[in-house]
Amino acid sequence: MKYVFKKFLFVLILGVMILSLAACAKKIENPVIRLSTTTSVNDSGLMAYLQPVFEADTGYTLEVTSAGTGAAIEKGRTGDADALLVHAKASEEEFIGEGYGEERVPFMYNFFVIVGPEADPAGVKGVATAAEAFQKIADAGATFISRGDDSGTHKAELKIWGAMGYDPTGQPWYVSVGDSMGRVLTVADEMVAYTFTDKATYLAHDNALSLLLEETDDMKNTYAMIAIKPERYPDTNYEGAQAFIEWMTSEKALKLIAEYGVEEYGEQLFFVP
Amino acid sequence: MQTLLEAFRLLLGADPELRQIIAVTMQMSLLSTGISALLGIPLGVLIGANDFKAKRLVNRLLHTLMGLPPVVAGLIVFLLLSRSGPLGTFKLLYSVTAMVIAQVVLITPIITGLTANVVSIKAPLIRETAAGIGLSPFRRMLYTIYECRVPFVSNILAGFGRAIAEVGAVQMVGGNVQFKTRIMTTAIMMQTNMGHFEFAIALGIVLLLISFLVNSLVGRIQEKTLSA
Amino acid sequence: MIELKDILIQYDQRSVLDIPSLRFEKGKRYGLIGENGSGKTTLLRLLAGTLTPDQGSVVKLTPNGMGYMPQHPYAFSFSVLRNVEMALDKSEVRRKQALAALEKVGMGQFVNARGDKLSGGEAQRMACARIIAKPRQLILLDEPTSSTDIKGMDLVEQTILDYAAQCGCTLIFSTHSPAQALRLAEEVIFLHQGKIVEQGPAEKLLNQPASEQARLFLQHWQL
Repeated sequence: MKYVFKKFLFVLILGVMILSLAACAKKIENPVIRLSTTTSVNDSGLMAYLQPVFEADTGYTLEVTSAGTGAAIEKGRTGDADALLVHAKASEEEFIGEGYGEERVPFMYNFFVIVGPEADPAGVKGVATAAEAFQKIADAGATFISRGDDSGTHKAELKIWGAMGYDPTGQPWYVSVGDSMGRVLTVADEMVAYTFTDKATYLAHDNALSLLLEETDDMKNTYAMIAIKPERYPDTNYEGAQAFIEWMTSEKALKLIAEYGVEEYGEQLFFVP
Repeated sequence: MQTLLEAFRLLLGADPELRQIIAVTMQMSLLSTGISALLGIPLGVLIGANDFKAKRLVNRLLHTLMGLPPVVAGLIVFLLLSRSGPLGTFKLLYSVTAMVIAQVVLITPIITGLTANVVSIKAPLIRETAAGIGLSPFRRMLYTIYECRVPFVSNILAGFGRAIAEVGAVQMVGGNVQFKTRIMTTAIMMQTNMGHFEFAIALGIVLLLISFLVNSLVGRIQEKTLSA
Repeated sequence: MIELKDILIQYDQRSVLDIPSLRFEKGKRYGLIGENGSGKTTLLRLLAGTLTPDQGSVVKLTPNGMGYMPQHPYAFSFSVLRNVEMALDKSEVRRKQALAALEKVGMGQFVNARGDKLSGGEAQRMACARIIAKPRQLILLDEPTSSTDIKGMDLVEQTILDYAAQCGCTLIFSTHSPAQALRLAEEVIFLHQGKIVEQGPAEKLLNQPASEQARLFLQHWQL
């Protein structure tokens, strides 16, 4: 009698211990991470590709919202995001300087490209820098579609015009649409015009534009993550953001990122250091 | 709060781009409404005042078109005007003309349907009386239009209200091109996406005021019609 | 003279009007009586030409100069005067004719009032003025005093009788009131469920109805 009782007690305690251990491992305070990223990143399909792996590995749930760079970063200020994934260095540094974000964690890069009509009336193909290409386009008065939405891509485009000391605003051939990369490519396709885009979105988008210039120094585009500091909004998922950043910079994730696009487009779309 | 003040400052300062956006919006809306009214009112009178074999079919078709979702209209016009579409050679895509076309497609059925409804209520009574005093069909039609003049005005205003508030179709076929096809609704969407809320709010206030004005006019006209 | 032959009008498979033969003589005054839905309005509309029969024919040997006043005459949203003028041909005397007609029906003070602001009885009298403003060969009136008060009714009835005598037109009217039929009609036609059940001189039919249905209909009416 006593023996049976002792054995039963032992099994019970063991069971409780195992259960609580399992519960401990699975127990996450706040399982939802709100990631605010840009339309370009979304349009490239990278997050949809990584998300299931991340969620399976960590048990977190990722809620990805995308908007133009400006609005994406703004979500960090208004407490609508736990982490940012953007590609606009100056805006990121400003954001951190204001005290909203922890630190900039650059983790991958790619290049912008210049695409346009197959006939290439402005003679962009073969020049050495994007600035030269823009000069040719301006000289020829060839139609050029701009994001016009203060996004990372737009800011990169403006930086190149700035380096030339030239402001294309108001020129009849300069078409500013204020919209996402996908839509800009549609307009460029329709108007048979030049535009400045990231390669991933260009490849993922159905159009008849030709790739005219890529991988010049002045078209390098760096992506970074920022965890939002929890001081301002107490329900910010700071642990979740850190878990996300840690996972994204892990060897496994970086390998996945480097592999993305190879099978479908024959080349990698994002580079890791 | 700060953003709201900024918005008012923008409005009062009459930022040139703001003014241009409002101007393009008014041009487009007035043109769309005008063309839709020119097409829709005579058509509505013909349908409402007369009895003909295919009337039930026509009414059903009309009601289907009245419920055409703006984005579908936008898609259809986009495909028509696109480079690879049947009207591609005219290069109308991303122009005010394209936006007007899309809006006319949307608004004409609405004005036609509203007109037909109003006319069909009065037309039978008028016809009976007109037959009794020997009025010619043409004069009877003119008198019918005269009798429905007040609801006609409110119908046109309703059409204008739709034109000015529309965003889906005009975004698709207009492209929201700066200085060219950027109108209040598409600009508000864009500025909100960019996080520039002051500009969006400033435009929103203007749009709201115009909308309120138009809709309250329609309401007043309807009230007067009911109490008469 | 009007001749109807083999008239059949149906609605939802129900016979609304079924008249094998009917004849109206020139210059006579006919009153149509019967219950609601007996076909009085349908018959008048048929005669006015606003309804075409499913079967049968209407032959009018007095094709011109018809005036028809429907049960609910439409009053337009301009002046009463214009409402009457619109029934007349354009001429210098049009105004005078309209004013005279309005005076006769007792609407003299309403000349500049807006048509659509009139009461039911006033609108009916105005519609009546439209009819009597010029001489006609046939007038059809559908319950011409249904909304009018007794004083107005007297005036309108007298005006109609004067007008009929003056221009020698054929008068065909419908009424709910057997008394009115007696006052205005020479011949009375009693309709029941779309059929002519009895027809004859007013005095005789109204005081000594021959048919069962007519007797039933008139039983509540005491001479």
